[in-house]
Amino acid sequence: MRDVYVAGIGITSFTRLEYPLVEIAAYPGLMAMRESGIKSIDQLYVANMGAARVNHQSGLASAVVDNLSLTPAGAETIENGPASGASAIKQGFLAVASGMHDTVMVIGAERMREVNNLEATDFVATLTHPMAEYIYGVTLPSLAGMFARLYMEKYGVTSRHLAMVAVKNHKHAMDNFYAHLHEEITLEGILDSPDASTNNPIVADPLRYYDMCPVSDGGACLILTTADLAKKTGKPMVRLAGVGQATDTHAVHDRKDPTDLLAVREAAKKSFAMAGVKPADVHVAELHDAFTILEIVESEEAGFFERGQGHVALQEGYTRIGGKLPINPSGGLKAKGHPVGATGVGQAHEIVLQLWSEAGKRQVKNAKVGFTCNFGGFGNNVVCLTFIREG
Amino acid sequence: MERNIYAYKCKRCGHVQYPYRTICRNCHENDHNEFDIVPLPKKGKLLTFTHLFNPPSDFSTVFLSLGIVELEDGSRITGQLSIERPTIGMHVRANVEVVRKDEYNQYYGMVFYEA
Amino acid sequence: MSIDLEKILRPTDTPLPEYPPKYMTLAGGEQLVIRQVTREEIPEILPHVEPLMHVERDFYDIVASRVYAELLGYYTYRVQDEYVLAAQIDGELVAVVNGRMANKDVGISYHTLALRRGLRVGAHAFAAKMEYHLDILGQKEVLIVAESPIGFRRWMIEYKLEKRFHVPHELGGCPSWSLTRELYDAARDTLIVGRRPVPEQLLKKAQQAILPPTDPPRPPVDLLAATRSLYDSTATALLEQRKKLGGLRDA
Repeated sequence: MRDVYVAGIGITSFTRLEYPLVEIAAYPGLMAMRESGIKSIDQLYVANMGAARVNHQSGLASAVVDNLSLTPAGAETIENGPASGASAIKQGFLAVASGMHDTVMVIGAERMREVNNLEATDFVATLTHPMAEYIYGVTLPSLAGMFARLYMEKYGVTSRHLAMVAVKNHKHAMDNFYAHLHEEITLEGILDSPDASTNNPIVADPLRYYDMCPVSDGGACLILTTADLAKKTGKPMVRLAGVGQATDTHAVHDRKDPTDLLAVREAAKKSFAMAGVKPADVHVAELHDAFTILEIVESEEAGFFERGQGHVALQEGYTRIGGKLPINPSGGLKAKGHPVGATGVGQAHEIVLQLWSEAGKRQVKNAKVGFTCNFGGFGNNVVCLTFIREG
Repeated sequence: MERNIYAYKCKRCGHVQYPYRTICRNCHENDHNEFDIVPLPKKGKLLTFTHLFNPPSDFSTVFLSLGIVELEDGSRITGQLSIERPTIGMHVRANVEVVRKDEYNQYYGMVFYEA
Repeated sequence: MSIDLEKILRPTDTPLPEYPPKYMTLAGGEQLVIRQVTREEIPEILPHVEPLMHVERDFYDIVASRVYAELLGYYTYRVQDEYVLAAQIDGELVAVVNGRMANKDVGISYHTLALRRGLRVGAHAFAAKMEYHLDILGQKEVLIVAESPIGFRRWMIEYKLEKRFHVPHELGGCPSWSLTRELYDAARDTLIVGRRPVPEQLLKKAQQAILPPTDPPRPPVDLLAATRSLYDSTATALLEQRKKLGGLRDA
């Protein structure tokens, strides 16, 4: 297998975007090409989850490849739920590593705000088991609520810990121009003040409003290529060193221990093994905090902390920028936003930016090894990536 | 008529699975459809739960209580709760009722009550 | 002669009880003060509303234009029984809401304009307006129309308003929706927050000066974010705008 490097990146704001999905996909592609000076692309992968359903558009990749005037390059749409982004990167990795293509563009794009919140939530809820979960009215927030309740009871995590994740990630997002939420929140405002229950109402008990990610539109892009071509861009050499994927039962109740995120554990392990690093070697991580509880649990399952110690590390400031292992310096899904199909590519965008030392005010010092965890379904399909800066 | 939710018992290894899978999760026997259909028990204990305050738009209730229950035979199921103050570990009993309706269809599922 | 004419043009206001100021803590920990502003303070507000008339996103242009006209109407005595409430953080203007009393029993809600996005600032200001009509003025219902989808979702979903489609709304939008006393009472515990009296320092700061919003909604700088493309799936409007501005720029 050939080594695979990142040649260019691009992103749109993750927010409500008022332009067509095809342009949400094309704009980051344009940015990545301009920045890297790369004009010829052999293959395009577009990660998207809901275009056919939400935007009434199928065959997105064919539309995007033409919009970017990249025809006759190959183009495919990759759908893997909220893990579509990292899955598309995986396909790009395989294409370059195998020697089939030299330059591959991976785009993630989603436009969810075209419909209202309830419809968007219902669209995401179609990920759940149709007969064993969906018919009961199960949505992703309710799965997260049930998961959180059990986990909190087991490991002594409190609503305060969850709120700390939100406060931290909102703070990180303040320095991210492309983040969805630019509002700093405080524990007093969302937990302690007499008005907190209105500011931060319960959505899926015990999870509250500020425990959930927003519904976002957005796009992101990564150009993957060989060592030789990457050198020509003049950017620091960042290698996509580890790709790991794992799955778990479709219905959440079917898992032996419903507080286990087995797929995260397995995917992270595979990704680290392939990259030849240990969790302790990682300098910066982007985890899939669609719900605050997930950041805590994923940080344990990925191997950064012992089981049941994630919230302790959080409390001690370990995971904020300036701490020992900053998690979600971009603001994470919680504050940067969660355009489902684009999220995985967005996470990789942030890690590459960090490894290039171009993250500005939110730069993690001396970041050489970065990790992303892109979580599909409620943990039934997880893709983890490890990036290493060389030199 | 008493309604049931059915699980699938592998004819080779006896493993009971719910929901349905084409291949048994335990023995990976791959003959087609080699399962006996068995009703799930209706008693169990509550493993975890939530009150969802933004239920899907076709539910007209203010909130929807959902939970995962471990049934007597060790299998697990997600269901709706009709319990005012649920607690983890409490004993519950189930009734199979309509849990969701759309225009022409109605779907039956387990609704749990305090035992 | 001209004085007489002004007399004819100027409606007679019913003396209305004042809205007692209140304050609350936002998710960000700041203290939000909501108070009624006097007619004399309107010129302090107008310059902060005007720039939003040019923000072609999220219906800021239409709402700000109408709020501007309504405030001017209030200032120059052209609307009967109108009132204006302002929401301020450290003196900074973050939301303006207004409305008027149609008759003893029915209130008319005009507009809610948030000059700072997020943190429920607009929602709190809207709730205060409802509180004024139903608790302070003791009216029976408030007629509401939404001009933006954001407003519609918030008011209709949070308060579950009743239909009054046979009643035309003053703003021109028919169907009207109504917040009745019953619905208001049901929403009271969760949506109507705030404490009184406002600590003296806090109130003084708010009354001292209406400061400009520090982070008001701005016209889209990102050229691709032209709102007109919302109605234009071919995005030609977008291309036109790009051409006008001389090609792409960095966001």
